[in-house]
Amino acid sequence: MSIMEYNGGSVIAMVGKDCVAIASDLRLGVQSLSISSNFQKIFPVTDRVFVGLPGLASDVTTLHEQFRYRVNMYTIKEEREIEPETFAQLVSSTLYERRFGPYFIEPVIAGMQKTPSGSLKPFIAATDLIGCLNFAKDFVVAGTASSKLFGVAEGLWEPDLEAEDLFETISQTLLNAVDRDAFSGWGAVVHLMCFFEGSTHPLAQPRRSSTNRIASPVAP
Amino acid sequence: MPDGSFAHPQQRHFNPYTENGGTILAIAGADFSVIAGDTRQSEGYSIQTRYAPKVFRLTDRAVLAVNGFAADGNMFVKKVKQRLEWYRHAHAKDMPLRAIARLIQTMLYAQRFFPYYVYNILGGIEEDGKYHTSLPSYSTAFPPHPLSRVHWIKREWKCGPKVLVANTFRLLVQLGSGAVYSFDPVGSYEREACRAAGAAQSLVQPFLDNQIYFKNQTAPAGQSHPTHLPLQDVLSIVIDSFTSATERHIEVGDGLEMYVVLAKGRSPQGLESIAGIQEVTTKSDSDRVFVIRRELKKD
Amino acid sequence: MDVSFAITGKGYVILAADTTAAHSIIKVKLDEDKIKALGPHLLMAYSGEPGDTVQFAEYIERNIRLYQIRNTYALRPSSAASWIRRVLADSLRSRKPYAVNLLLGGYDTNTHTPHLYWVDYLGTLVEVPFAAHGYGSYFALSLLDRYHDPEAPLEEGLATLKRCIDEVSKRLVVAPGNYKVKVVDKDGVREVEL
Repeated sequence: MSIMEYNGGSVIAMVGKDCVAIASDLRLGVQSLSISSNFQKIFPVTDRVFVGLPGLASDVTTLHEQFRYRVNMYTIKEEREIEPETFAQLVSSTLYERRFGPYFIEPVIAGMQKTPSGSLKPFIAATDLIGCLNFAKDFVVAGTASSKLFGVAEGLWEPDLEAEDLFETISQTLLNAVDRDAFSGWGAVVHLMCFFEGSTHPLAQPRRSSTNRIASPVAP
Repeated sequence: MPDGSFAHPQQRHFNPYTENGGTILAIAGADFSVIAGDTRQSEGYSIQTRYAPKVFRLTDRAVLAVNGFAADGNMFVKKVKQRLEWYRHAHAKDMPLRAIARLIQTMLYAQRFFPYYVYNILGGIEEDGKYHTSLPSYSTAFPPHPLSRVHWIKREWKCGPKVLVANTFRLLVQLGSGAVYSFDPVGSYEREACRAAGAAQSLVQPFLDNQIYFKNQTAPAGQSHPTHLPLQDVLSIVIDSFTSATERHIEVGDGLEMYVVLAKGRSPQGLESIAGIQEVTTKSDSDRVFVIRRELKKD
Repeated sequence: MDVSFAITGKGYVILAADTTAAHSIIKVKLDEDKIKALGPHLLMAYSGEPGDTVQFAEYIERNIRLYQIRNTYALRPSSAASWIRRVLADSLRSRKPYAVNLLLGGYDTNTHTPHLYWVDYLGTLVEVPFAAHGYGSYFALSLLDRYHDPEAPLEEGLATLKRCIDEVSKRLVVAPGNYKVKVVDKDGVREVEL
C-alpha cells in the first residue's frame, strides 16, 4: 500500500493560446472504499493562480492552509498579488522544508503570468512530493491516474488551443484517464483562465476564470 | 568452513523471468484488423536491440502480437505456428481465427503453474461476417472449394402468393469481419474491438477508449457514433498511439510494425498509396496480410 | 471494532455509535457513550484505539469549551472541524499520534444549515451528506447511496438510520448489540430512542 495512493485522486493542467486550464477528479476514498464524491483538490490562490494538490487527503488540507498563510504573508509584505511562477517557487521551497519527512502531495500549478508588456501568458508547473519543479510548455499531470493522463494528453493536446477547445481537450483527457483508474473519478471539475486583450468575448466579461463542474456519476 | 565451524545454510535464488518492455496494440474494423507493436527490446535501462519483432503473421487471416518476456514470447509463437501447421496438414485448410484463439487459451493454460510471461493479442479476420448477395462473376471466378468461404446453399424464394423453390443452387459469399482477441498470461481471453497491452498499456488504452469507442463523447443530435472506423482512421490512431507512447515511455520506441489483415472481397483501396507497404499473403484468393513499417524516436 | 454512522437531513444531523467497550474479544461495558456534545449545537462521535479515544475527546471537549468561555460564543461547526482536524494532523507527525476517527455533526445557527464532517486519524477532513466509520461503513455507505434524502424530515432520517443498523446486525459477524443515537438541530443536541 502506497501512501500516495491511499486516498486516490488526479490533477492535470494544460496550456492553450492565451489561456490555461487545470482540472481534477472529485473522489476521496480510503483505499478501495469511496467516502466522498465532492472532495476539492484544486484551490484558487489569487485571481489568476490555481493550485491542484493530489495525494494524501490530510496533507491536501494541511498544505492548502499552509499555502494560504504564506501567500497572505507575501501579499501583505509585497503589497501585490503573487505571480504564478513565484508561487511555484513558494510551493517548491515549502515542500523541500520537509525533505526527509515529506508531505505526500504532488502539486500542480496553473496561472496567467504577467509579461513585461503588461499582457498575460499561460503558466503551468508541477513538482514532486519534495518540491522538484517541472516547468512544462504543454501539460503537467499528477495523481493516481498520472500515467493514463500522460497517454491521453500526449494524444489529444496540440499547441495554441483556443479556450473552448482547451476546455474540451482537458475534459476529455481527464475523463478518459480517470475512467481507467479505480482510485480516481466520481465527478470532475475544470478551471479555465483566459486572457482577452480588449475583447468582447463572453468568457472575458464577467470573470477572469470560469469553473465548470462535470456531473458526478452518483448522487453526492 | 576451513576453521571447522559450520556455515549457515545459504539460499540461492534464480528468477526465470525478465520483462523486455515494448507495447502492442490491435484494432478491429468492419472487414479488416490492424495489429501493431513497437520493435524496441529492452532490459532495465538497456536497449538490447532496436529491431525485435513482436507481431507475427500466423496465417493469411491471423496475426499474433506477443508482449512481455521476449524469450517466452518467441517460443510461444513458435509453438502456436507449429500447431497451426499440424492443423493444416490434418485438415487441408487454415485454422479459423476463433479456433486459434481457443488454441492459444489451452496452450497458455497448460502452463498455468509455470506460465509464459506474455500478454497476447490475436487479430485477424473472423468467419462471422455478413453474407454477401451472390455476384455472377463470383460463381465463375471461384469454384466451390472447402478452403474458400464460398457456400452453396439451397434457397427458397417467395414471390407473391406462390412459393417457388429455386431449382438451381445460389452462390452466397461470406465476408469476413475484423476481430481482436486479447489474452492474459494464463489464457483468460475475450473478443474485443480494440486492446493495448505491454509497458504503455496504461497510456494507450484510455486514448483508445476515447478514439475507438468514443467514450465520454456525445454524438451530434440525431447522429450516432460509428461502430467501426475506416482503415485510414484506424492507421492514424495507431500511429498517434505509438508516437505518444514513445514520447512518454522509455521502453517504447525505435520502430513500429503495423500488420493489416484485409477480409477477402474487400478491395485494398487506399492501401497502395501507403509508403513502404509490403504484402505478406501466402495464397491467392484469401484474406490478405500487409505490413507497414514506420520509424519511431530512438531516444 | 466500533461502528458509527451519521446522516444529514432537513435541518438536522443524526449521529449513532455503538455502546460496546471491548478489550480484545471481551466486552467490558455495554452502555458506553461514544458521542460527546462539544457545544450547544455540535456533536462528535469518536472511535479508534481505546485510551486514545477518550483522552482525545476530552481534550477537544475542554478546548472547545474554553473557546466558548473566552469568546462568549461557540465555534461554528466548520471552524470546530477545521481546528479538530489540525490537532489530528499535527498529532500524526508527532512521536505518538492519536489513532482516533471522528464524525462531527453540527448545526450552524448563523446560516441555519446542518453540517456533517467525516474525519479520520490521519487528519482527513471532508464534509459529506452521510458518513460511517468502522466495519459498518461497508454496509451503510451503499445503503445510504440508495436511501439518503437530504430533504427528509427527522422521522424519515431515523428510519433510514435504522435500516443501516439492522443491516449491520444482520450481516456483520461482530455486530454490536446496542447503539446510542443523538440528534443536533436548531434546538440544540439531544439523545433519541430509535
